[in-house]
Amino acid sequence: MDVTTDQIKKALVAVSIEHVLFDMGTPVFDEVTRALHDKYNCYIPDCFDHPEYLKEVLKELYGNSYKNIVKSVHKQLDEFADQQPIEEFLKAISE
Amino acid sequence: MQNNLEHYDLKKILLYTIVFTGVSLVAANLFGKDVASTVSLSLYVPVTMALVILSIILSKRFGIRGDHGKAWFMFSIFAVLWFIAERVALYYNLKLGEEPFPSEADAFWLAGYPFLFAFMILYLRPVKNSITKKMLFIALAISIASLAPILYITQHQNMDVDWSEFAIAVAYPIGDAIILIPAIIGVMLFFRGKVNFLWSLMCIAIIAEMIADTGFLIVSMDNSYYEGHPVDIFFIWYYIIFSFGVYHHITIFRDRRKDPYKNIQELR
Repeated sequence: MDVTTDQIKKALVAVSIEHVLFDMGTPVFDEVTRALHDKYNCYIPDCFDHPEYLKEVLKELYGNSYKNIVKSVHKQLDEFADQQPIEEFLKAISE
Repeated sequence: MQNNLEHYDLKKILLYTIVFTGVSLVAANLFGKDVASTVSLSLYVPVTMALVILSIILSKRFGIRGDHGKAWFMFSIFAVLWFIAERVALYYNLKLGEEPFPSEADAFWLAGYPFLFAFMILYLRPVKNSITKKMLFIALAISIASLAPILYITQHQNMDVDWSEFAIAVAYPIGDAIILIPAIIGVMLFFRGKVNFLWSLMCIAIIAEMIADTGFLIVSMDNSYYEGHPVDIFFIWYYIIFSFGVYHHITIFRDRRKDPYKNIQELR
């Protein structure tokens, strides 16, 4: 099976988001995945193409402090931030 | 939509519970101290038990992993310590017919404060970088201002009072003022978020506890306190408000492990 660079980057972003959410607590991860599925019919890897979905879900759950959770995702992906699709994802989610 | 409806219903039930317990204790006082004592003690048992059960449910759900998991574990210890304190107080009431002050119960109550503080700090840890100096200043200012009644009482203190008793009684409002700081910061941080309901209720509950502790200090100084005194309403409200906050959190972070996938193909 061939894996494209984009797919690897998508997986990397998904793992980073999951890592941040699991660091907060497993039910936090569960609730975010449920909300993503119920509201947007998508899963965490899909947030790579639709960062605004994750942003909205976190905002709904944690209000003003969602920005800090986004910053933690940013921190996780710091060393890959210069790669274009990841850079675009980080830019979109941080806006 | 359904969540909003549930949220609205929860607020309504909370309001009814608060009114019911308040009216019950005020009405009981009209029938004398014995009736007030019986009603008060029978209210304390379910409200303290509810807080312990709900906090254990949430702690079990989060486990010990992650900041929030550790936070809810600390909260459970706090709830259990206060539950033990209430049972010790109940034991003295039933055995001696009065509650001595200070007693072993105070050790459990005071030991609960560091765990409640640790809960708030651990919960706020993932978003700690959002805490601004302005937020900290506002929270500190409110906390210090909330100590004004205690400072007033201390200045007008009768010199005949036992100072060790007075120090223990004063430790409660000071403990409340300390935990009010992260509670206010939490409300500001999670503003407009679902989890803000818990933090708003925690703030209200701590204010109720401060009123109760200050009231208790005043009435115990002139030895007019008895079990079921109207000041107990605020203590009971504290447990109720906290329990509703924890319950709301349980409804947000439901256990979804047993939820079936609607479409298994989506996982592939």
